[in-house]
Amino acid sequence: MVSMRAFRLGLSAVLCLSAFACGGGGGSASNGGGGPPPPPPPTNNTASVIVDAGPPPNNSSVNTLFTSVTICVPGSTTSCQTIDHIQVDTGSYGLRILAPVLTLTLPIETLANGNSLAECTQFVDGFSWGPIVTADFQIAGETAHSLPVQVIGDSRLANIPAGCSGTGGTEEDTVSTFGANGILGIGPFELDCGDCDTATHGLYYACATSCTDTTVPANQQVPNPVTHFAADNNGAIVVLPSVAAGGASNVMGSLIFGIDTQTDNASGTETVLTLDDNAELIVNFNGQTLASSFIDSGSNGIYFADASISLCTAPPSDPTSQIVNFYCPASTLILPITIQGMNGTMTNNLTFGVGNTETMLNSNFDAYPQLAGTLPAGNAGTFDYGLPFFYGRRVAVAVQGAMTTAGTGPYIAF
Amino acid sequence: MPIFQSSDFKGAALGVAVLIAALLPHVASATLGQPEITVQSDAARTHAAIKSSEDRTGYRVHEIQLPSGTVMREFVAPNGNVFAVAWQGPTRPDLRQTLGQYFDAFASAPRTKLSDRRHLQIQQGDLVVQSGGHMRALSGRAYLLSAVPSGVNIGDLH
Repeated sequence: MVSMRAFRLGLSAVLCLSAFACGGGGGSASNGGGGPPPPPPPTNNTASVIVDAGPPPNNSSVNTLFTSVTICVPGSTTSCQTIDHIQVDTGSYGLRILAPVLTLTLPIETLANGNSLAECTQFVDGFSWGPIVTADFQIAGETAHSLPVQVIGDSRLANIPAGCSGTGGTEEDTVSTFGANGILGIGPFELDCGDCDTATHGLYYACATSCTDTTVPANQQVPNPVTHFAADNNGAIVVLPSVAAGGASNVMGSLIFGIDTQTDNASGTETVLTLDDNAELIVNFNGQTLASSFIDSGSNGIYFADASISLCTAPPSDPTSQIVNFYCPASTLILPITIQGMNGTMTNNLTFGVGNTETMLNSNFDAYPQLAGTLPAGNAGTFDYGLPFFYGRRVAVAVQGAMTTAGTGPYIAF
Repeated sequence: MPIFQSSDFKGAALGVAVLIAALLPHVASATLGQPEITVQSDAARTHAAIKSSEDRTGYRVHEIQLPSGTVMREFVAPNGNVFAVAWQGPTRPDLRQTLGQYFDAFASAPRTKLSDRRHLQIQQGDLVVQSGGHMRALSGRAYLLSAVPSGVNIGDLH
C-alpha cells in the first residue's frame, strides 16, 4: 500500500515538473486560452517543532520533541481543535491524544460485530488505554481523512481490562503521567502492530459490556498518519539545529513530510542506513557489535552500557533520584561510534559526547545533547541513540516500501 | 554445598522437560519466586509452549514461546524456585501472572523527570525490573536479588 502510494506520488511529481516545464514557454500569468491550467501551489509540508519543557502540569520534559496538530470530527471543517505539545516520536506508530485535552467528541470505531475498538498501547515503562476513534487529521498543509487515532484515558471506555493493566508499569492515561498532550508516531512502518489482523497480542480489544483481546482488520488499526496523507506520504524528515554542549532551552526546528516529493525534501548525499524488521540497525561501540540498536526521537538520551564510565551517585536523602542510572563522568567524554545499516552502509568518523548529568541538569535546560545513561546488561546488544542524535542534523525516516532516490524504506538517512 | 550434580541434574531436567512436553503441550509462564512447577500453571488459558529447557552452570532455563510471538525465558535456581524471568518480542507477557506477588511493587514504581517511554530500571525491595526497546520490539527482565544463585552473572539473564 505504501509503495503504491509512493509510486503514485512519484508519478504526480513528474507530471507536476512537466507542467512547470511546459508552462515556462508561455510566460503569462493569465490562463485565458486553451493552455493547461497552472499547477496547484505545492502543499505546505513543513510543521514547526520545538524541544521545550513540555505541557503543564509537569513542565519537566527533557530532550522531548513536540509539535502541534489539528484534528476534526470526520467530514467537518468547523468541529476542529488544534492541540499543542504532541510528542514527535520516530520510534512508535500512530497518533494518540490524551482525552483530558480533547474538546471534540470523536466517533469510536466499531468492529464487524458491533463492538467498540480499544487499544492497550504498550510502552517500555507502562501502558496507555483508550478507544480507537476516527478523526480528520491536519498538520502543516497535509491532511489524512478518517484516520484511526487512539484517545487515551477516554471516559467512554474507562474500565481497563485486567489483561491490559497486567502488562504492567505505569498507567499513562493522563497528561501528567504521559508527559505530553499526545504522541505522533512516525516510525518507519505503517502500523503499530505487525500482525494484529491475524493474531491477538493484548494490544487491540473488542468492547461490549466488557473488553476482550481481538484481531483487527489492518485498515482499522492505528497507522503512522504520514502514510495516510494524500501526498508526501512516504516518510518524514526531522531538522533540528545544533545545541550547545551544556544544553539549551526552546530549541526550534522543522518536521518536513515526504521524501523526494517536493523541492524542500529532496534527497542529496546523505548516509542511508536501511533498517531490519524491528526498525533496528547495528552499532559498533567499544569493541561490541550491538545488533538491536536504534535511532529514536522518542528516547530522551543516549543509552548504552559502558562499565568504565562513572555513574551518577544519588544523594542519600533521595535514593531514587532521577540521576540514578545516568552517567556522571568527571569531564565530558567524546566517544567514537559506528552505525551500520542492513544495507552494509556505515557511518564515518562519528562521535558522541557524554556529559556529567548532575552538572547539566543543574542548568535547568530542556535540551541536552550529551545526556547519556546506562542500559541494563539484560538489554544485550542495544545502543539507543535518542533525540541527541537529531541535534544539528537533518534526519529522514522512510517508511517501509517507500522508494526514494536515496533508497527503499525502511531506512533512516542523515 | 554443591549446587547440582551436573549429570544428575541434566538427566532430571531432561526428564522434566519430556514429562512437561508429554503431559502439558500447552504451558504458561512461571511465577517469580515460586516453584518451577508453576511453569505449568494456567496452561489452557495462555496456550504457550516450552520450546526448550537448558542447564547452565548453577541454574536451569526454560524458553517459552508465547502465542503473541514474544519469547520468555525463566531461570530456575537449584532450590527449584524461579529467580528470574526475561522476555523479548512485540509485546510484554502477562506480568501480573509472571511477577505474582511482586507485580504491585512493579506497577507502582514511581516515574522521574528523566523517564521516557523507552527505559525502565526499578528496584523495589528485593525486586529488580529492567526493560527497554520500543514499540513492536520490547525486552526486559525481572529478578529477585536475594534469590540469584551465587556465581550467576546477572548479565547472562536475558
